[in-house]
This record gives sequence, C-alpha cells and structure tokens, in this order.
Amino acid sequence: MPALLELEEVRAGYGQTSVLHGVSLSVPEAGIVSLLGANGAGKTTTLRAITAGVRWTGDIRFGGRSLRRMSTEDVVRCGIAHVPEGRGILTELTVDENLRLGSHLRRDADVHKDYDLVFEYFPVLKERRRLSASTLSGGEQQMLAIARALLMRPRLMLLDEPSLGLAPMVVRSIFEIIRTINQERRVAVLLVEQNAGLALELSSSAFVLEVGRVAVHGDSAELKGNESVRRSYLGY
Amino acid sequence: MQRIRSAPPRYWLVLVAVLFLAGLPTVVTSFQASEFGGALILAIAIMGLNVLVGYSGQISLGHGAFMALGAYTSAVLVHKYKLDFLATIPIAGVVTGVVGFLFGIPALRLSALYLALATFALAVVTPSLIKRPEALTGGVQGILLIQPDPPQFMKDGFAAITGTAMTSDQWIYYVILICALLLFWFAWNLVRHRPGRAMRAVRDGEVAAAASGVNVSGYKTLAFGISAFYAGVAGSLFALSTGFVSPDTFPVGLSIQLLVGGVVGGLASIPGPLLGAIFVYFLPIESNQWVPSQSWIPTQVANTVVKAGPAVTYGAVLILIMIFAPNGIVGLVNVGYSRLRRRLRGAADRETGQVPPGPQTV
Amino acid sequence: MQEFLQQLVSGLASGGIFASLALALVLIYNAMGLVNFAQGEMAMFATFIAFALIEHGLSYWIAFPLTLLLAFAGGIAVQRIVIRPVERAPVLTLVIVTLGLATLFNGAAGFLFGYVPRSFPSPFSVSTVSIFGAYASYQDLGVIGVSGVVLLLIYLLLQRTTVGLTMRAAAHHPEASRLLGVRVSWMLALGWGLASAVGAVSGIMAAPALLLEPDMMQTVIIYAFAAAVLGGIESPLGAVVGGLIVGVTVNLAGAYLPFVGGDLQLAVALAIIVGVLVVKPNGLFGRPAVRRV
Repeated sequence: MPALLELEEVRAGYGQTSVLHGVSLSVPEAGIVSLLGANGAGKTTTLRAITAGVRWTGDIRFGGRSLRRMSTEDVVRCGIAHVPEGRGILTELTVDENLRLGSHLRRDADVHKDYDLVFEYFPVLKERRRLSASTLSGGEQQMLAIARALLMRPRLMLLDEPSLGLAPMVVRSIFEIIRTINQERRVAVLLVEQNAGLALELSSSAFVLEVGRVAVHGDSAELKGNESVRRSYLGY
Repeated sequence: MQRIRSAPPRYWLVLVAVLFLAGLPTVVTSFQASEFGGALILAIAIMGLNVLVGYSGQISLGHGAFMALGAYTSAVLVHKYKLDFLATIPIAGVVTGVVGFLFGIPALRLSALYLALATFALAVVTPSLIKRPEALTGGVQGILLIQPDPPQFMKDGFAAITGTAMTSDQWIYYVILICALLLFWFAWNLVRHRPGRAMRAVRDGEVAAAASGVNVSGYKTLAFGISAFYAGVAGSLFALSTGFVSPDTFPVGLSIQLLVGGVVGGLASIPGPLLGAIFVYFLPIESNQWVPSQSWIPTQVANTVVKAGPAVTYGAVLILIMIFAPNGIVGLVNVGYSRLRRRLRGAADRETGQVPPGPQTV
Repeated sequence: MQEFLQQLVSGLASGGIFASLALALVLIYNAMGLVNFAQGEMAMFATFIAFALIEHGLSYWIAFPLTLLLAFAGGIAVQRIVIRPVERAPVLTLVIVTLGLATLFNGAAGFLFGYVPRSFPSPFSVSTVSIFGAYASYQDLGVIGVSGVVLLLIYLLLQRTTVGLTMRAAAHHPEASRLLGVRVSWMLALGWGLASAVGAVSGIMAAPALLLEPDMMQTVIIYAFAAAVLGGIESPLGAVVGGLIVGVTVNLAGAYLPFVGGDLQLAVALAIIVGVLVVKPNGLFGRPAVRRV
C-alpha cells in the first residue's frame, strides 16, 4: 500500500542557497514519523516544501497525488495541517476566532463534536475563548495551534518543533495528546523535533537529516537502541 | 590628457547633452525653446524631489507647494519691492529651503505612507492657502509680472550666431539652463560625497545607519531643506517664464507630476529627473498630437485616445511603467547596459533577480 | 443654540460621508498596508455609473444597490488586474500606481460623462423637520441614516461572518492564514471590492450636495484621510468615529471661526492630519506599531 506522504529526491532552497539536496522519506497512513537532525539540517525546510512555502524540485506525493505547482492554500485543502515553527497563531484575533479558522473549510456535521473533543483535551482554551490569542502563554499557544490543526480534520499533521520553549510537563502532555489524536482519529503525523529522545518515543519510524540529506532512517526503537547512531546524529 | 581619454563614456554623454541644450534656442522657434525651458524647470524641481525620495527615502506628494512658495516669493519681491528678477531666484530658493528644512522636522516622526498622505493633503490645500492673504498674494487674481529683456551682451552674442534678435523667452531659457546646470552639478557632487552616502544609508535602513553613527535626523531634515530649495528655485523660474502666478497654477496635479517624473525617470540617479521631466511635460501634449499621426495605429484606437484625453493615457502609461519598469527609464537603461556588457564579456548569464532601487551613478 | 444643533446635524451628515470613504481607506490599508489614493476617484466613477443608471430610467433605490454591486465587482477587477502585479513592490511604487489609477478614473469620467457639473437626485427631500426646536433637513438625516446602515452592515460582515473572519485573518496574518487554507489573494480582492462598494456609498451620498463632476471627490478624500488618521488607520471603528468628528469639527469651524470661513475648511482637515500624526500617530483607536529591526 503506498504511503500517505512520499518525498522523492526533494531539493529546495532559498534564493541562491540550496538547503535540501535530495531528501526522500515517507509517512504511512495513520503513522507517526520523526524528522530529526541538528540545526540547519533542513528539517523545517522539508516541512515548508510540503506546504509550498519554499520552491522545490523532485516529487512530493500526498495520497498518491503530486503536490507540484500547488499553492500553500491548495495543499492545505488536500488535508495537510502544518503547525509551523513559532506556531502561526493569529495574535490579532481571539482564541475562538483562531479555532474557527481551523474549521472554516469544513461542511460536515461532526464539527461541533470536534470542538467538544478539543476542549476536552485543552480545557484552558475553552476558558480563554473570547480573549485575544496574544494573551496565551507559550504552552497554551502550542495547544491552540494543535487544537486548530485538529479542527481541520487533516489526514496528516506536520508539527515543527512542538516542544520548543515549553516546560517539560507541558511537553509531555502535548505529546500524549498527539499520540491520542493519532490513535483515535487516525491522523498521520510528521514530527520535526530537536528533542530526539521524546520524538523517538512517540514515533514508529524516524528519518535523520544531515546537511540536507537523509543520513539514517529506520524503525524508531532500533534507532533508539543504536548507541553509535544516537551519539553521532542525535546528540545523546 | 590622460584623464580626458580615460573618462567614462557617460561624461561624454553629459557634454553632448549640455552642448545640445545650449545650442537649442538657435535652431528651434522661440516658443519651442520656452517649452523646453518648462521641461527644464520641472527637471530642477524633480531633481530636488529626487534628493528627498530617491536618496533619503522620504516620500513627498506636496512639492508643488514648495514651488508655489518659491514662485510667489519671487513674484512678490519683484512686484511689490521692485527687486531685479535674477536676484530673487536665490532668495526664493533659500526661503523655500528654510521652510522645507523646518517642515522636515515634524516629518521625521511620520512613516513613509503617512508622510505621503500629509504632503498630499498639503498639495490639495495649497491653492486655498494662497488665496487667503490677499494683500500679499493678490488672491484669486494672482500677480502679473513683466518679463525682462535680455541684457545687451546676450543680444549681441545671439544675433552674431543666429542673425535674429533674441527674445525674452530665449533669454529666460538660458537663465533656466544655467540654473539647471548649476543645480544638477551641485546635486551630482552631493551624492558622490559624504552627504549622499549618508542619505543612501538612511534610505536603506535607518536603524543600521544610526548604529553606524550617521546623524539620521540631521540628514533627513537636510534632504528636505535641499529638495525644497530646488523646488523654490524652480518655482521662481516658473514665475519668470510664464510671467504670471495665481493659486490655480499650483494644483495638486503638479505635485503628482513631480513625483511621477522622478519615479519614471529613475530615482536615485542624476539623469533620471531630466528624463522624467521630459516624459511628464511632453507626454500629455504628444499623446494628443503624435498618436493620430501614426499610421500603424488604427483610427478607432487613435480617436479614442485623443478624445479620452491625456489623463487616461497618462494614468495607463504610468501604471504600466510601474508594473514593468519600476526603476524608471534609468533602471531600464542600466539593466539593458549590464546585460549587454555581460554578453560582450561572455560571462555566464546568471539569474540575479530584481535590481533593487539602488544608487545609480552618472 | 438652534443654529448650533443645525450645524451639528449637518456636520454629522458630512461626517457620514467622510466615514464611509475613510472606512474604504481603512479596509484597503488593513488588507495590504497601502493608502489607496484613488479611493475618491473610484467612488466618483461609481457615482457616475449610478447617475447613468438613473438616467436610463431605473429608480433610485434600484440603481443604488446595483451600483454598489458593480462597484464591488470593479474593485475586485482593479485588484486582480492592476494591483496584483505590483503586490510585493515597495510602498512608493504602490503609491504611484494608485495615483495612476486616480488619474485614469478621473480622465475616464471626464471622457465618458464630460466635465459639466450635473445635479444628482436624492431620494430625501430638502424640506426640514423640527428636532428639539432646531431644523434639520431630511437630506442630512437621510445621509446619516444610510451611512449608518452601510457601516453597520460592514461591521457585521467583518465581525460576525466567516468570510469576514477570513478577510481579517488574511489581512493581519497572510502567511499563517495560508497554512489554514485561506485563499489570501482572493481575500485581498474581496477587500478591494468591499472598499470600492463602501466608497461608492460615500460618493452617492455626497453627490446631491456637491454636484456630480469628475473632480467632485477631491476634497472629500482629504477629509476622509483626516478621518482615517484621526481614528487610527487600521481601525474601522476609528474611521467611523473619526469621520463624524471631522465632519462636525469642520462644519463648526467654518460656521463659527471667521478666519476659516468657507474656503479654509480644507485647511482644517490638513491641520487635523498634521496634528494627529505629530502628537499621536496611531490615532484614537490604532495600535502602536512595533518597529521590526
């Protein structure tokens, strides 16, 4: 069965600088895959390429369909939710308005069920509904970003450094929720993380980027167990 | 001798242009000379505006108001105080320059867009502001000036070359030309040396410039003062050449013309203002005359263009230029020139992307 | 006192006209950080269209909404054809493009309809009604009413509908909005369409008093600038409040300050603009801009 998301020899860059030099990876249906590597290895660029935030060559296929030449909005409308570095919270709007932007494309009847679910996972969002999104703390904004992504009812979620700047407790609870979403809603996840240990715990497989190429990839458990891989590529 | 031989081709171009302009009245009619004079006046004002917009990065949609100030200063001095006209030119320039400098002080606090907005409002209000102090400005009726006769030595010289008598218009043309040459030369020096570099630094990034020790406020207000000085001189020359000033001769359209001329010619360049002035001055006239005479344009189209009038053509051409050549004529020339040089040198053609509106030296 | 109330009502009517045009300016500013110098000319052109429709026999209350629809479409067309190619250009280029548009619309109006001022019909009679002992004309009250309704509708659209939400999102956070599937480019076009329609309201309300001719809106746009700046260029509410304040102030200044009189009222607008920008650049309801280094 073909994977949900497939990248084949993807090259991408900014202006004259090339960042990705032929990245190939795949995310299976309802799977969780980690994308690891040092700073500057190209993890964020990879996610950006998928949602057309940067020009790329090669092939990117989602659900068997090529994403070439599609605009960001159109890629997203295919069923990919991208929570970028920095979370992409619309701080000029309220928490509720942010959430509504997550669900604004949907016409199905399950929308309010999803709202209930989201408020169950993240009760603080329900409390702060009417407030400006700028009043939320870092962790709360991350919750909002994930809640919003969930409301899009995506088939695939791209998460860029969800643990960045958050307290360990908060990180743990967010990762738990991601696991729940994946298991209960069958949403696939491509997770970019600096915190390799946490990512490997959550994901079933992982790709490690080094200077724009996949250096190592495989089953998460195996990678975690492999000391030399951990030392050379994952920093621990 | 060495310097002359190795002078870049641009210098020769300038020399040719100057000779051409100097000789112009000897070969065209007096009326045409005064038309060219009109374009040169605009060129002076646009050069001043260019210092402000192109080199120091501040937008002004109100330089027509400064021209009005210069024009009325000269007019009042000549009419009421019987000063010799030529003497009033520098006075008008200085007065306007000081006012411009003072104007530049509150302008420091405005962002580009707000400054454009405020100066636009100034331009619209200018006619009413002129009408008010009637005793001084003659109100709605304006001030009528008698144009001076050429001095004897000019008459003799002109007669010797062309065999005809020199008219007032032709004399005034030379006055304008000399002012233009002086002011263009001054501007060229200004941008080549420290003030120019400082202003460009300010334009390209105020915070960085300040961090490098540039007196940002000082240079910005100085730019305002200088540009107003130029506009004042231009206004004064305008009063001289038309012999008449009134509130209606300085509508908002004038200010827009100046900015348009600056941008179309090419900001941050010395030849740009002259090219832009020619465009702005002659396009409205030519579109009415030139278009119908072109046989390759179908009559229907030509008739519509003429009837629609210069405004529609002007607006359309302006938009097209902004879309396809935002760096103006000079920008186009530069791009073409550098492409040509690359091809001649056989360098590999690389995509370098957009040419940013950077300093273009003569 | 009576006269004061009369001037007040007149001022509010002018204020409604200024507020509508100012709102158009704010809508576009919010969408792309640009002051549309052509807004007044576009409004004038739309008013000429309304005039043509009425001349062809349509009743006022059919021509009015039809014109708004046409203005809406026209605004979208302008954005798609003229603005989109230069979307990412520096501010100066965009300013010149809008000036070019202004010239074009002005010239086109002159070409199509001529420069002779026409009288424009108004559905409200000029007779007056007595309020608290003062006389206010139905015309003024009508203008206040219509402007109020239009402004309220815009408010409801922006704040209470999904379309309004996506428009606001696209305006303030274009990149983040794209990641939420918002077609940002089309939201921009919608913004222009809406602004154009609101501007048309301003023109149609102003025409009976000002007489319809190509230069009709050239002073109104200055008052609208003053209103937008006073209210805070980013704030639709500010545009409305600013418009009313400017309308009343200018009217009262013209009536009660002898040196202002009729012809220097415009200078009052200039004074407001300069005053606000120097003292409190963000206006009444604006937010201080963060200087990104």
